[in-house]
Amino acid sequence: MRNSPPESPVFSIGERPPAADAGAPLTSLFESMRPDLLRFAQWLARDRSIAEDIVQEALLRAWRSREALKDPSAARPWLLTIVRREHARLYERKRLELVPLDELVELQADPRSAEPDDDVYALRHAIMRLPIEYREPLVLQVLGGFTTEEIARELDLSATAVLTRLFRARNKLRVICGLPAAAEVSAVPQP
Amino acid sequence: MNCEAARRAIGADPALSTAELEAHLQSCAACSQFREEMRALDAQIRRALERPPDIAPRQVRRERQPWQRWAMAASAVLASFAVLGVWLLRPSDTLAREVVAHVQKEPESWFATQHVSAKEIAHALGGAGVALDLTSEHIMYAQSCWFRGHYVPHLVVQTATGPATVLILRHEHVTARRSFHEAGMSGVIVPAEQGSIAVLARGNEDLGQLAGEMQQDVHWLPER
Repeated sequence: MRNSPPESPVFSIGERPPAADAGAPLTSLFESMRPDLLRFAQWLARDRSIAEDIVQEALLRAWRSREALKDPSAARPWLLTIVRREHARLYERKRLELVPLDELVELQADPRSAEPDDDVYALRHAIMRLPIEYREPLVLQVLGGFTTEEIARELDLSATAVLTRLFRARNKLRVICGLPAAAEVSAVPQP
Repeated sequence: MNCEAARRAIGADPALSTAELEAHLQSCAACSQFREEMRALDAQIRRALERPPDIAPRQVRRERQPWQRWAMAASAVLASFAVLGVWLLRPSDTLAREVVAHVQKEPESWFATQHVSAKEIAHALGGAGVALDLTSEHIMYAQSCWFRGHYVPHLVVQTATGPATVLILRHEHVTARRSFHEAGMSGVIVPAEQGSIAVLARGNEDLGQLAGEMQQDVHWLPER
């Protein structure tokens, strides 16, 4: 569902409740997190407009089920989880329409916009190219701050499977950064 | 805790610190260095994720003039003939090169040391609509990979002579078995009941037997 109409409750989330409404602080809280949610969604979706739609839809869902948020200090992980689920839903729907990354996105080639640090620039490119099964747990862990158990619960995987995916994700990024793959590093056997 | 377990734990979470891990690192300089590298890498990953990815907005297509559309159509027809000509001349060579290029892009697949869960295998196979007789204890790596416009199962199976990569290519049809050597890998692409199967190994391996077994072990489900 792209380009939600102006009457969408999410579009007006910051202005809908009257000032005296008890939900007003919550809407402000949600809105304050929008940039963070958008960044998270963009790393998952790799498409700016799809990410915007995901966040829009996620905020709508969050607003509808705001009663479930007992502790406002836990809003960030709660909203990130909703964004992740919204992305998963969209990913399932669009799975067969996926096109190769080269056709979908372009990294900005303008040297003025490039990272001053070449390693970080290469890493950003490499993370974007990680398959979703590796990129998703990595982004959840590093950007979302989720624990292995929380990621496992969210992705419906065993903790071992999550650890394996995180290991493989970092192993791929090691190689991109010119380090030997973990399995190639000479290991000293323990006595 | 041994080195392999320590590295897997560090690789999954470089910030992890448990008594068991710390005890191992006290006595293992190589793993200790590995953790330093992974923590430095993680700091870089954090920096990389600080900003949204640099995604250029999709280009808006402008309406073309009728003559431009005809010119484009003619170019497309000519280009199609050229591509078709090349394709018909050496189809399996092209396929073999792309198979090798794909495997080269996932170098860590050769070093997988743990068996893949039945769920992960099912995920890798499910997208291509195939089932496999092979038991999961032989499979060290299973991914559903995007290859030539379709999701294909990319497996690494443990054989008596070492790991071998198997790509199940439902949409790639070959008329005869074709062996090839490229980029330090040997491989064979064999026709299958539907599509074909590519088997690769590092070095000069005879993959005929494994390819024959895969022809028997792969079952083609109705396409979704």
